[in-house]
Amino acid sequence: MPEKRTMTLNLTDAEMTALEELSRRKDLTKTAVLRQALRLYQTVETRIERGEKLVFENDETKQKAELMLL
Amino acid sequence: MKLERSKEWWIARAAREGNHVVLAGGPVADEERESPAELRSGNLERASLSVAASDAHIAFGRFVNLMRRSRGMGIEAFAEEANLDPGEVLAIEDDVHFIPEPRTVYCLALAFKLPQERLMQLSGLSKARDVGLRAQAVRFAASADPVRELTNEEETALETFVMILSKGNHSAG
Amino acid sequence: MAPADFSPIYLVDGATGSAVAAELRQEIGAAQLTDWVTKWQPAVHEIMRELIAKGVPQDRWPQSSHWRWDQKVARVSGLLAHKGFSVTATGVCQGLMQVKLTQSARLPEQHGKPLVYVEYLETAPWNRSDCVPVRRFKGVGTALLTAAVALSEQETFKGRIGLHSLPQADEFYQDLGMCDLGPDPHYPNQLRYFEFTAEQAAAFLV
Repeated sequence: MPEKRTMTLNLTDAEMTALEELSRRKDLTKTAVLRQALRLYQTVETRIERGEKLVFENDETKQKAELMLL
Repeated sequence: MKLERSKEWWIARAAREGNHVVLAGGPVADEERESPAELRSGNLERASLSVAASDAHIAFGRFVNLMRRSRGMGIEAFAEEANLDPGEVLAIEDDVHFIPEPRTVYCLALAFKLPQERLMQLSGLSKARDVGLRAQAVRFAASADPVRELTNEEETALETFVMILSKGNHSAG
Repeated sequence: MAPADFSPIYLVDGATGSAVAAELRQEIGAAQLTDWVTKWQPAVHEIMRELIAKGVPQDRWPQSSHWRWDQKVARVSGLLAHKGFSVTATGVCQGLMQVKLTQSARLPEQHGKPLVYVEYLETAPWNRSDCVPVRRFKGVGTALLTAAVALSEQETFKGRIGLHSLPQADEFYQDLGMCDLGPDPHYPNQLRYFEFTAEQAAAFLV
């Protein structure tokens, strides 16, 4: 396994609550949730750099709304 | 990620595979749809031409590789002499799907002292007009190992193929 | 897994039935792509020529003959969400797999939970029963699938995996006992979608 480096993360109550909720819903450890978030963020940023857009589509109305990322 | 299982475990798993095809995959990206689309369209004649064109293309890469090595030159040195980009020479030799620019084929024709049109056909840049050249190209590609030092047989095959390219005479089949 | 690291595994020689030592790597590197270009492609071309010459109907052609592994790998290079795997035996790449880690399960009992999604899995043409009468090595595809399940466990996804099967392989996944969610209307050709639950994955790895 490649070497791992450690980071300490300070979260607000609201952030920790959100993290714990995602952890419960996704049946993942909190660390795994954050890892998934990093993967998603990197993928989205890369695809946007390639010229793609990330949109949400309403399943019923088929209306699209673009998700803006900085 | 380390997987540790006994030899017997792996053998039992392989046996369970039976004679099944094991394959998984969703839709291909647009780039892959381009080649060789004919194979999925059901047009057998076009598919057959597409496969044959690929044979000539593999032969082109092998040919460039052997001609370079017969001169005892590395890719960088050959590229410099032929006034080419080393990356493109590498792509021609290694990537069976790579189609070179016309200027590149012109430079190669000059470097090898061969008719440009024949090399254009072999590279896939122009439509191959004679089936015999393709047949010769397939035979040549199959005979040449791109990695080892040229054997006497490979040198003979290379010389014969150069003659074919130069004269435009060939025997089909 | 460091680039030079691998798990020793075993395949079975298709002709003799004897065990063959092989290597499972968590990478698709230059060596594997070189083998794909210089060994897999010419073999596929030869097979396609024979199939066309024999008038074999298109639905019996190898269904991945147009795949470009160089492009698949390049497209996800550097992205944490994708990982590549390869099996090597006798110094030659025998199978390739690319997986995605950011997909969620569709089975109602595990809906929305992350799984390892097998984007592409292919074995070398000489190992496929739809390409050759006698396969050189058996067990390559199974080894790669095992790697996907093991990765899922390592990622704390509980072994869950998902994949879209190409029609020639539907029977394999059905025989493995994977949950068959049927043809996916969102995919061209409505490929069948399969998943392993955590329980099925645990049984598979035993």
